[in-house]
Parts: sequence; C-alpha cells; structure tokens
Amino acid sequence: MGIILVASILGIALALIIDWFPTQASAEAHKIDTLYDVLMICSVPFFVLVVTVVGFAVVKWRVRPGQELEDGPPIHGNTRLEVIWTSIPALILVSLCSYAYAVLHDVEKARANPAERMTVQVYGQQFAWHYVYPKAVKGKDLTTNSLYLPAGKQIQFDVHAKDVLHDFFVPAFRLKIDAVPGITTHFRATPTKLGAYPVVCAELCGLGHGLMRSTVHVVSQRDFDAWLARQKPSAGISSPPDPTP
Amino acid sequence: MSTITPPAASTALAPAPPARNRLTAPGWYRAALGVLISFAFAFGLTVGVRALYGYHPLISGEAITLVSMLAVPFGFLIGLGVFEYWFYWAVGKPSRAEDHASHGARSWRDYFKVNTDHKVIGIQYVVTSFFFFFVGGLIAMLMRAELAQPGQQFVDSQTYNGLFSVHASLLIFLFIIPVFAGLANFVLPLMIGAPDMAFPRLNALSYWLLPIAGTMMLSSFLVPGGAFQSGWTAYAPLSTTQPVGQMFFTIGVQFAGASSIATALNFLVTIITMRAPGMSFWRMPLLVWANFSTSLLVVIATPFIAASQFFVLLDRALGFHFFDTGLGNRSGDVLMYQHVFWFYSHPAVYIMMLPGFGIISEVISARSRKPIFGYRMMAFSLLAIVVLGFTVWAHHMFVSGMQGWIRVPMMITTAIIAVPTGIKIFSWLATLWRGVIHLETPMLFALGFLTMFVLGGISGVMLAMIPFTIHVSDTYFIVAHIHYVLFGGSLFTIFAGVYYWFPKMTGRMYDERLGKLHFWTTFVFFNLTFAPMHVIGIQGMPRRVSDYAQQFAGFNVLISIASFFLGLSALIFLYNIVASWRYGPRAPANPWRALTLEWQVSSPPPIFNFDRVPTVVGGPYEYGVPGAVHGTFSSPDPQKTTASG
Amino acid sequence: MEAASVGAHPAGHDDHQHGPPEAHRSSRVEPQFLGMLLFIISEIMVFGAFFTAYFFIRVVQSHPWPGPGAELPKLVAGFNTAILLSSSLTIHWALTGIKNGNRWALKAGMTTTFLLGLTFLFVQINEYVHLGSAPHDSAQMSVFYGLTGLHGAHVFIGLTLLGMVTVRSFRGHFSPEEHRGVEVPGIYWHFVDVMWVVVYTTIYLL
Ligand code: HEA
Ligand code: HEA
Ligand code: CUA
Ligand SMILES: [Cu+2]
Repeated sequence: MGIILVASILGIALALIIDWFPTQASAEAHKIDTLYDVLMICSVPFFVLVVTVVGFAVVKWRVRPGQELEDGPPIHGNTRLEVIWTSIPALILVSLCSYAYAVLHDVEKARANPAERMTVQVYGQQFAWHYVYPKAVKGKDLTTNSLYLPAGKQIQFDVHAKDVLHDFFVPAFRLKIDAVPGITTHFRATPTKLGAYPVVCAELCGLGHGLMRSTVHVVSQRDFDAWLARQKPSAGISSPPDPTP
Repeated sequence: MSTITPPAASTALAPAPPARNRLTAPGWYRAALGVLISFAFAFGLTVGVRALYGYHPLISGEAITLVSMLAVPFGFLIGLGVFEYWFYWAVGKPSRAEDHASHGARSWRDYFKVNTDHKVIGIQYVVTSFFFFFVGGLIAMLMRAELAQPGQQFVDSQTYNGLFSVHASLLIFLFIIPVFAGLANFVLPLMIGAPDMAFPRLNALSYWLLPIAGTMMLSSFLVPGGAFQSGWTAYAPLSTTQPVGQMFFTIGVQFAGASSIATALNFLVTIITMRAPGMSFWRMPLLVWANFSTSLLVVIATPFIAASQFFVLLDRALGFHFFDTGLGNRSGDVLMYQHVFWFYSHPAVYIMMLPGFGIISEVISARSRKPIFGYRMMAFSLLAIVVLGFTVWAHHMFVSGMQGWIRVPMMITTAIIAVPTGIKIFSWLATLWRGVIHLETPMLFALGFLTMFVLGGISGVMLAMIPFTIHVSDTYFIVAHIHYVLFGGSLFTIFAGVYYWFPKMTGRMYDERLGKLHFWTTFVFFNLTFAPMHVIGIQGMPRRVSDYAQQFAGFNVLISIASFFLGLSALIFLYNIVASWRYGPRAPANPWRALTLEWQVSSPPPIFNFDRVPTVVGGPYEYGVPGAVHGTFSSPDPQKTTASG
Repeated sequence: MEAASVGAHPAGHDDHQHGPPEAHRSSRVEPQFLGMLLFIISEIMVFGAFFTAYFFIRVVQSHPWPGPGAELPKLVAGFNTAILLSSSLTIHWALTGIKNGNRWALKAGMTTTFLLGLTFLFVQINEYVHLGSAPHDSAQMSVFYGLTGLHGAHVFIGLTLLGMVTVRSFRGHFSPEEHRGVEVPGIYWHFVDVMWVVVYTTIYLL
C-alpha cells in the first residue's frame, strides 16, 4: 500500500511539473489544462496500482526452486472486491464526465455582450487558409491570408471547406474544428496573450496537408484597428464564395 | 443436404492428379489460368460496355483495373479450388464423400493448397498475417526514417501519405484481425472438444480471401498516382477524389471484411453447436468466450465498413453523389461517411482487443497456477464491452462538426467502457496474487500487456473527455494512444499467444532465452518509441504529416532511433520462430501443465484432433483444486454426457 | 455448406485413421440454420448502413424526396412487391411439398418461385431504364439506386441459390427426411422478400 501511495504521489507530481502544453494564449486554455491535470491526478494512481501489483507479485510469488509443480491457492473470486473495483472506477468516471461537461459548456458559451464578440470566417482549401472579416473595412468584407486577432475579444470562427475536409487547429488556443464541405462549423475562443502562434491543418487533406500551416497574430485592439485600416477590402484574392448556398 | 453415399471404394485417398490434368485439377496452375481468364473477361466486359455506351477512350486502364479487381480474385479462387465442392453441390452431382484428403498437412507444400483442416488453416492464417506484420513494420521504418528530421528526407509527401495508409491498413486488416482469427482457428475447436470448425470449406475460403486483400493493398504502390493516401480511415470526400490507388483500399477491404465475417460466423456456429458433452457455456475457457464476443461484434459491425467503402466506390467510379456537396438540395452528406465508418471501426478496435483478452486469461491462469479470479464477471464484462462498443462510435468525431449534443452521451458511454475493462484488469491482478508465477516468455508478454494496455486505456479515457480531445484530436497524442493499445495491447497478447501455443502448433519448443531477449528489447524500445508521442501530441504536432515544425525535431529523432531498435527486436522474434520451428527440441504434449483440452492431446495434435470426443466434467481453470479435471477421454459416464447449454 | 463430419463415414469407426470422431451436438439448432441466421443478421446490417445514408440525406439534411424532377413509379413497384411476396408463398409450398413427400409440388414450387424472382428482377431493371433519372442526378437518386441496387443484388444471389435448388430438385434430390437444402435457401429468400417490403415502404411510399 505504502509503495502505491508514494509512487502515485511521485507520479502525479511529475505529471503536474512537466510542462505539457504549448503557451496558453486564450482565455479557454487554462481551463482545458486544468482538466488535463485533474485527469492525470485521477488516472496516475490506477497506472501505478497495476504496475506495482504486477511488480510485487512477480517479486514475491515468483516460482522458487522446488515449487515447480505446485499450484496456487484455488481462489475463485471475492464478491466484495469485485463490487469495489466496479464501483470506484465507475464513480470516478462519472464525476470526470460531469466535470468535463462543465468545462465544455464553459469554453463553448458565447459572451453576452455583442461588443465583446467578433466573427471571422475561415476557409480551408487545398492547401491554404483564407480568412474573411465580415464588414470590417468600410462596411465591406475583408479577405486575407493572414490572421490577426484583437486580444480580449471573443472570436467566433465560422469554418468552411472549399474542397475536402480540413481542420482548423490553433494549439495555443486549444481550439480545433473540422472544416467540412457543405456545412459551416463553429468555434469560439478568446485570445488573451499577445504574440504569434501556429495555425495548422489537422485533418488529412492530401499532398500538402503537412504544409498547410500559417500563423495567427494576437495583437492589441489598437494595433488590430491599425492593421485593419491598412487593408483594402477584398484585397489580394477574391472573396471565396460560400459553398453553402 | 442429401449425401448420396458412393460405394466404399471411392473413400480411399484421391490419387495425385496426373500431370496432364494440371490445368483442370484444382491448384496453382489452374489458379493462374483462372487469373488470366478472369482478367480477359474483365477486359472484354469493360471494353464491350464502353463500346456499347460510346465512351472514349475505349480502353480505359482505370475501368479495367477496377473490374479486374472484382473479377480476378474469383478467377483465382475458382482456379485454386476453393469452390470445388460447392459447384458439385450446386449442379446436383452426387456429393463426393469426404475422403479427408484435405485434412492435415504432410509437408510444407500442403500449406499452399486449399485445406479444410482447422489446424492447417490456423497456421496458414498466422504465418500469412505475420508476413503482413513484417511488411507493415518495414513500412513504419520508412516512415520513421522520413520523420527523423523536419523537411523532406527520403520520400515526398505523396509517398509518405501512401506509406502510413498502407501501414495502418495492413496492420489492422491483415495482421491484428486475422492473426487472432488464426490463433483461435487452431486452438478453439480443440478447446471445446470439436473435431473441426462447423463449416470447414467456408473456413478455407475465409483464409484464401486474405492473401487477395493483402496483395491488393500492397500492389497499390505500383499504380500511377501511388498507393491510397487517405489513411486507413479513408474519409470522404478526400477518398472519392483520389487517384486510382484508393480503389485498392476500397476493394481490398471488402475481401478482408468478407473473410472476417465468414470466420466469425463459423466461430459462432462452432461454439454454439459443437461443444463437447459437458462443456456448458460456464465451463468454456475464456478464450472461447472472447472469440464468441468478438464474433458477435464482427457479424454485426463489419457490414458497415463494407457499405462505407461501397459508397466511396460508387461515388468515385460511377459518379454517385453520396458525399458530393455544393449541389444545393441534391447534395450528399460528408459526415455520413464518418458515422458509417466509425460504427464499424470503433467496434473494430474491440475486435482487435477482445481475443487478446482471451489469450491473456489463458496464459495468466496457467502460468500463475491459479483459477481465473471472478470467471463469470470476466465473461460478463466481455459481453458488456460488446454491447457498449456499439454506443460510442462518435467519440472519433468530437471535432468533426457534427451536432454538438451527440458528443455528450458518447463521452459518457466511452468513459463507462473503462469499467468492464477495469474489471478484467483487476481480475487478472487478483489471479496473479499469491500464485506460483512462472516467468516464461508468454507470461512476460502477458504482464507487459497488463501494464502497457492500462496506459493506453487511460489515454483512451482522457480522449473521451471532450474539451481535452478538442485539443489533442488528430495529433500525435492519438498516434501514441493507437500504438499503446494496438502494440502494447493487441500485439503483446499476440506474442504471448504465439509463444504459448507454439509448442502445440509446431510440436517444437521455442528458445526461451531468445524469447526473453525479444520481450525485454520490445518492451523498452516500444516505450521509448511511443511514449514521447504523447508529449509532442499535446504540444500540437498533427498526425499524418511528412514534414513538421522545427520545435518537434528533438523528440522525433529520438522516436525514430528507438523505433529502429524496435524493428530489430522484431527480427529476434522472427529468428527464434523460424529456427525453433526447424531445429527446436520436441515439445511435450503439455509443457505448461494447463488444464484446457488442447493440451490434453499430443503436440502437434493428431490429424483429427481426438479419437473420440472428450467429456468435460469441470471448469477450465481449476488449478490448485485437488484432483480437479477439466475434461477426460475415458469412457464417459452415460449420466453425465447429456449436454448442457 | 455442410457441417464438419456430420456426413456418414462408410469406412466405419474401428479405423481411426479414416475420419474424425462424430462431433457432439451441443445445441438443438442445426448448424446450417444458425449459419444462415447469422449471415442474415450481417445482411441486415449492410442494409442498415444504406438506410443510414438514406436517413442522413432525407432526414438530417431534410432534402426533398425523391429529389428535384424525379418521380418513382409507386404502382409498378407495388405490383412488383406483390410478385415478390407471392414467391415467398410458392417457396413455402415447395417446402411443405417435399416435407410431405410430394415431389411434384417441390418441382413446381421451385420453378414458379424462380420465375417470379426473375420477373421481379426484370421489372426492376426495366424501371431503371425508364425512370428518366440517373444515380448522378442527385444524392437522393444515389440513395435510391444504391438501396434498390443492393436489394437487386440480393435478389440475384437468392435466384442463384434457388436455381441450384431447382436443378437439384429436378435431379431427384431431397426427400421428406432430407430437405435442409430447400429450407435454408428458403429462409434467405424470405429475408430478401421482407427486406424488399422495407425498401419499398421507405423509398417509394413514405
Ligand atoms: C485495440 C484497439 C483499441 C482499444 C482497446 C481502444 C480503447 C479505447 N479507446 Fe481508442 N482508439 C484506437 C484503438 C483502440 N482504442 C484507435 C486505432 C484509434 C484511432 C483511430 C484513428 O483515428 O486512426 C483510437 C482513438 C480513440 C479516440 C478518438 C480520438 C480522436 O481521434 O479524437 C477515443 C476517444 O474517446 C478513444 C477512446 C478509447 C477508450 C475510452 C478506450 C477504452 O476501451 C479503454 C479502456 C481501458 C482502460 C481505461 C484501462 C483499464 C481500466 C482500469 C485500470 C480501470 C480504471 C481506469 C480509470 C478510472 C481511468 N480512442
Ligand atoms: C497493430 C497496429 C500497428 C502496429 C503494430 C504499428 C507499429 C508501428 N507503427 Fe503504426 N500505426 C497504426 C497501427 C500500428 N502501427 C495505425 C492504425 C496508424 C494510424 C494510421 C493513419 O493515420 O491512418 C499508425 C500510424 C503510425 C504513425 C503515424 C503516422 C502519421 O500519422 O503520420 C507512426 C509514426 O511514427 C507509426 C509508427 C509505427 C512504428 C515505428 C511501429 C513499429 O512498432 C513497427 C515494428 C515492427 C517492425 C519494424 C517490423 C519488423 C522488422 C523488419 C521487417 C526489419 C526491418 C528493420 C529495420 C530496418 C530496423 N505508426
Ligand atoms: Cu488541410 Cu490538412
Ligand atoms: Cu473508438
């Protein structure tokens, strides 16, 4: 018992000390990271338990010289034990699910105040991302290849695919959603930390899938407005038609 | 079915066909002929139809390839003689009495013939699927070589996409699933005291479909455009817009699937109708229970992957619109593919695990000399996994953009599946407790399985938690999970099973020292290869990429190096098996002193398994119970022979 | 499909080299029966997958059915349904016939069943030709052709089986004791019929 306790604590401590995640650049990120920590706290003891019991049994009950033809005691079961190891994991799992549900609800809900929200249309196409800021420049849509976001606002991403499946993944936001031909998918995130973070395509989409990477720039509202002011509406590339008529 | 019994003289073994008959008698010559004829037929049919409809060009390589892929396998099978008996039956010729010429194998050549003996088929299955394991593993080595550094090293992204798609398809459809079927084919009839499977000819057909599927998937590397490149999941609409290589997956899977359904049906009928007297359901070894559960999964779920690939085939080849969008109110539905695919492929992951659970139960109980702890709960939890397994498919679609609410019930059922699995793990631990533990190679792999599978299962439970999955889905975290459950889980049980039954199957002992070396190298390098993948996954490295950001370079080179050593460890296994099969010392009938019936006959078992069907008088795991017997071959007490179950 | 070693072994039991021991029958269910039943379960699942496609396109996407500009000949297909259903009766007649030793009923029943099945298939093909729509018109038509085509393929398999049984019955096989070879394909044929009723209802009527 003692070994298991100590090893579990060590294991959990290790899991919590290791810096697993990329930068937390959105308001949602730390909630997901905390969920991960809780998951580790709940599951490390099970792993430690199994490993310790296996190791202990091997050391303690390994066949000794002279025992080769002996058998173990004929124990067929123990109802109390079986009830315990059915109900404890079940309880833990149900509570983890409830907690995960709460987190899910929390990270996905929209902000009440429309002034704190902003929508960006994301278009995936073999093999690049385009972004459309609706009515951003003089009431006209702005289409760009680079993603700039103001910190502090909740961004709703409406994600579209123009050919096959793609997946809009920003590790620093803990955000990922497939771009699906024929439908529009959504995700919300609130960038908080200024900086540049990778955007990757996480759904296999063909030859250039691995190269379908770009960058998201999280800037202050002032810089964002300045950036917008420098853009021409529908500059560069033509506004991609919405595939959903 | 009427059997018109011919005169007794014809029951003698059929004489070898004289040479001039080579092209008409079943065998490889006729199979080659069958391939040629069916190819000519496919060619003619395609050109004919195209001429009829006025298509241009008349000779379309792609259309011919497609039709041949459907026709040639049948030409091959007919030529080989798989359908021989059924043809006789169909036209109403007097059925030839079974002369048992196709039972048993007298030389290695017999393994290349159509054989209806479950033991021969079992070995055919195991050897064939291990061949595909080595091919699939070799492909993994190429992938790891490419991934050792960011940027392009050896292969371009097209080849790379083909490599991991073929890697996964071979290892799943031609290794894990069939190798379990093969092991069970060999031992299951023996275990339940049956002389053979219920439908031996169907069994032979199931086997011969496999090389076809495997050849098809491998040969896709040779066609223009390269091998299929949309992963083993073949998501539409990527798969419907791919070069012709994709069709080799689409059609190859049909053959592998048909094979697996036929075997599953065979197992179920065998288990239900052919148990020895006294072998009630509650006296069956857990391997039999495990295959019973798996077969239920196969029979119910596998048709869904067949259908999903039919859709892809129809869309790509005949211009159907199951997955076409942008047609307004005439559009297809992209997510439908994923639902149908995962409704099979989630149960498939249990198809790839439950038989392994069975193997582990046999090994742990026999090698720690104790009865399985909680036998009934072990069987019930298998059934619980079967039922729950059908209710969780959409956990693969948490980020697919499907209706949000479906995610929540799927999260709960997915998490709950850990409960019956946990029951099994804990019961195995309790079986070890106070046992007399013999650490031979099969047992080492069984214990390795216990620890590694729990790790993989725990990462699975973490994946069930939606907010976390949103972050790690489609990253290397998934790749880590896959390999912890499939390599640390399934493959470890397969190694355990192969070492455990090697003496029974070949009549020879493997080399224990090499076996232990194999275990330890595999165990260490397996962890070094796949554990770091968790980290780079959480860091955000997507899967299925041949090139990646600089930040992941350090871990990847480590992974690649470890994986090469992992590959070398597989060579130890190969050497051990090949050398021991040829030169190993003769194995006793029951080297493990196990109680189950397959160990009560000689090694290898006699051609017809038993002289008389044994009688089962007790449970299969009564180790330590004084005087306990599982089955006897002595004259049965007439009172006890009435079957139960 | 014949169960292992259920067949008789004229060589007798004293010579063990000549054959496996008789398998113990641990269930009252016949292996062939059970095998067919399980096969039908997996067939139902194949149809289930195609119905999933139907469900997604018609219900989830709520597209109009049977798609813009398409019309399905309910009445003709209704007649066809009647044809197929009556073939279920005739095969039953054939089976009861042989059970009672009436060879004539067996032969006549099998022949009619076969011909009825063939008629069904021809009417179906005729419908395809005159429908005026094609699978590449719309997802709805893809589903229509997919489901009816899948069913047609099953009718074809069923007909092949029935063809064999018919040939065998003319060759003097089967007897009141031995009629499994009629019964088991018969079950399959009933399944094909019932499946058609489901397909007809969901595709044409609803
Ligand atoms: C042998 C194959 C196998 C097995 C057995 C499993 C078992 C499980 N898998 Fe896994 N899975 C795969 C093979 C397998 N998986 C593959 C191949 C993929 C990727 C497919 C692809 O996209 O290519 C995948 C992907 C996958 C996903 C999708 C991830 C994504 O793409 O976003 C999820 C999500 O829920 C998941 C969950 C689980 C769970 C909960 C289990 C559970 O059954 C595990 C249960 C076991 C345990 C938990 C351990 C023992 C239990 C205890 C000791 C009790 C106490 C434990 C706790 C309280 C934690 N798996
Ligand atoms: C049972 C299943 C199974 C097994 C055993 C393995 C075994 C291995 N797998 Fe595989 N793998 C999958 C199932 C499996 N995999 C699946 C389902 C996927 C998902 C695919 C997808 O995304 O669609 C995947 C994906 C996958 C990826 C991710 C690809 C990507 O997303 O880009 C990687 C990357 O490292 C990988 C590596 C390996 C390695 C190194 C092994 C090693 O363990 C292999 C070891 C064995 C050998 C090497 C063979 C024996 C040795 C020789 C023949 C001699 C040659 C030896 C040398 C040259 C040293 N696998
Ligand atoms: Cu776009 Cu992957
Ligand atoms: Cu799953």
